Amino acid sequence: MSTEDNSAFLEVVNIKTHFETPRGVVRAVDDVSFSLTRGRSLGIVGESGSGKTILVRSIMGLLPKRGTLREGAVMYRGENLINKTPAEMRGTWGREMAMIFQDPMTSLNPLMKVGKQIAEPLMSHLGMEKATAWATAEKLLHDVHIAEAQRRLSQYPHELSGGMRQRVMIAIALACGPSILFADEPTTALDVTVQAQILELINEQRRQRNMSLLLVTHDLGVVAGNTDEIAVMYGGKLVEKAPTKTLFAEMKMPYTHALLESIPKLNHAAHTRLATISGRPPDLVHPPKGCRFAPRCHFARDRCHSEEPPLTAGKSPDHVYACFYPVGSAEYSERKVEISRS
Amino acid sequence: MRYLSQRLLQFSIVFFIVTFGVMVLMRLGLNAPGDPARTMLGGTVSQEMIDQISKQYHLNSNLIVQYWYWLKGIVWSQDFGYSVQQNISVATYMRPKILVTFFLGIYALTWGLIIAVPIAVYQAYKRDSNFDKAGNFFSFFFISVPALVFSPFIIYVFVMKLGWFPRIGEKIYPWDNFGEHFRNFFLPVVVLSLPTAAVFVRLLRADMIATLQSDFITLARAKGVSPQRTLWSHALRNSLFSVLTSVGVQIGSLVGGALVVEQYFNMKGMGFLLISTILSKDLFVVQSLSAILVASVVFANLGIDLLYTVIDPRIRHARALV
Ligand SMILES: Nc1ncnc2c1ncn2[C@@H]1O[C@H](COP(=O)(O)OP(=O)(O)OP(=O)(O)O)[C@@H](O)[C@H]1O
Ligand SMILES: [Mg+2]
Repeated sequence: MSTEDNSAFLEVVNIKTHFETPRGVVRAVDDVSFSLTRGRSLGIVGESGSGKTILVRSIMGLLPKRGTLREGAVMYRGENLINKTPAEMRGTWGREMAMIFQDPMTSLNPLMKVGKQIAEPLMSHLGMEKATAWATAEKLLHDVHIAEAQRRLSQYPHELSGGMRQRVMIAIALACGPSILFADEPTTALDVTVQAQILELINEQRRQRNMSLLLVTHDLGVVAGNTDEIAVMYGGKLVEKAPTKTLFAEMKMPYTHALLESIPKLNHAAHTRLATISGRPPDLVHPPKGCRFAPRCHFARDRCHSEEPPLTAGKSPDHVYACFYPVGSAEYSERKVEISRS
Repeated sequence: MRYLSQRLLQFSIVFFIVTFGVMVLMRLGLNAPGDPARTMLGGTVSQEMIDQISKQYHLNSNLIVQYWYWLKGIVWSQDFGYSVQQNISVATYMRPKILVTFFLGIYALTWGLIIAVPIAVYQAYKRDSNFDKAGNFFSFFFISVPALVFSPFIIYVFVMKLGWFPRIGEKIYPWDNFGEHFRNFFLPVVVLSLPTAAVFVRLLRADMIATLQSDFITLARAKGVSPQRTLWSHALRNSLFSVLTSVGVQIGSLVGGALVVEQYFNMKGMGFLLISTILSKDLFVVQSLSAILVASVVFANLGIDLLYTVIDPRIRHARALV
């Protein structure tokens, strides 16, 4: 690991994923670039429908075949994955890159014993015998803190609680020792109390195994303490990216700010999908001409509606954002005063 | 346990309704004493004979009593009654005919599944490919064109023109001469199994397509499981429920289809027997045939119900609780 060129571990370059639908071309992911170094973690935050899941699946190459257009480059350890066929990707899936899904209720095969589902990748990737694979599966269940692992192995998913199923998902993902873990809203479907435990587990395993982590969520609060960097997505585009501390200290996009305001507070009963940002997410078939957030932005001016703001660096080079009138700019403050007066 | 007793109760009710119903229907208009016996015996027979048969089988008692004696005979001593017309016991008379239909049904169902499963799985996997389109065309074709229509065509080509298959429907058992048995059953089984397979293909393809879009299939791929394993081990098993349900439904219609096909191919099976005995009013035979038909359809469905529990642990556990 130490000899590896860390800067080029995973590099996503201008990735675009479009779906052809009867309504037109859906630009689910539009020109997104970022990179991830070994052992580091990146949070991807955005409202529902902003293209987070599709971004992750585009990187892994796990998209539906029908009507899908994908371009750009996914450089993994110096190799471009974008043109690889599923057959060529099989050695990467589960072995190099693993994924945890959003909904543990639908993501495990209901007709297959938990043990077999964990043992499968061990047998196909690492060539383990059945008995060895099951023994390893039991060890993995211990690793994800499931009690009575032996007994759990021969149970079916419906016999486990949601939190436990998500732990099984994590065990499956960890099975072959991947170097990158993609976690797609791993806690959204779970109880608040379980959410923290699952995040803690993911982070603990990431540190122990020196994995990179891409943690997707619609809740800025979830990534706050859990990732080194945060990337914010809106309407299929990456609109702001910075190290976690920097982002919270000096966020530039009014959209990021709005996301922050929408973090569920402890006294809120509901813990998911607070739609406190007024207005609707953009139509991805006919996205707004200028800045995609402009129609919902209180600080938008004429220029925002006609010209698309490029992703540019702020004070420090690792903080980039796409906004003409960012938080803290003269125009922003001026508008803020106007709003508070009315 | 409660589940099993529930199913047995259901079975008894259906069995009673059908068999008693058949009894009532077959005796419509036979109200005078001696009528049933006279009808069964057919032609001109002596009053003595009529009286003797009436007494022996309680034919002049009311229907409930008659039914009771008939059922008791079957359950206690496997005695299905006597075919007076044929002068042999109903069981002996029926056995070879039942075997013919039994083979026809089992072969048609088995071949239907053997043909349908790989086609449907591959169609779903390669959705919208030329293979899928061809599969859709043929399954649609065989669903729309009933055996009634293409049996004569098949007979014309393969029996009359090419002479590859015999047109005599002699029942030859596999244990007697397997080659002849095969030759005798081949065409009727083709005719019966193609529409059956077509229905299975349609149902399984649709279910497979839905299953292939579910999260756990994406997870299987994300784990690096091979496409073959993903298809056959993850997706297929999760897509079997409609097909399984329709096997139960198809058994009923297979019997109907067998009835037609037996006529075309001159096979002396249950369909043949049922028609001829209804016409000649051989009461005990009709009654016993319908009892066997109902029992086999109901038991087949019971078996299918048990298969659900084999396939799906959720159903297994839910049933264990009640
Ligand atoms: N197969 C598809 N065909 C057409 N449009 C699609 C397809 N899959 C996703 N989309 C669209 O792409 C957009 C992005 O979807 P995505 O699932 O990535 O959102 P998300 O950010 O993960 O949201 P959530 O928080 O709800 O999971 C959505 O508008 C969705 O409707
Ligand atoms: Mg998502």
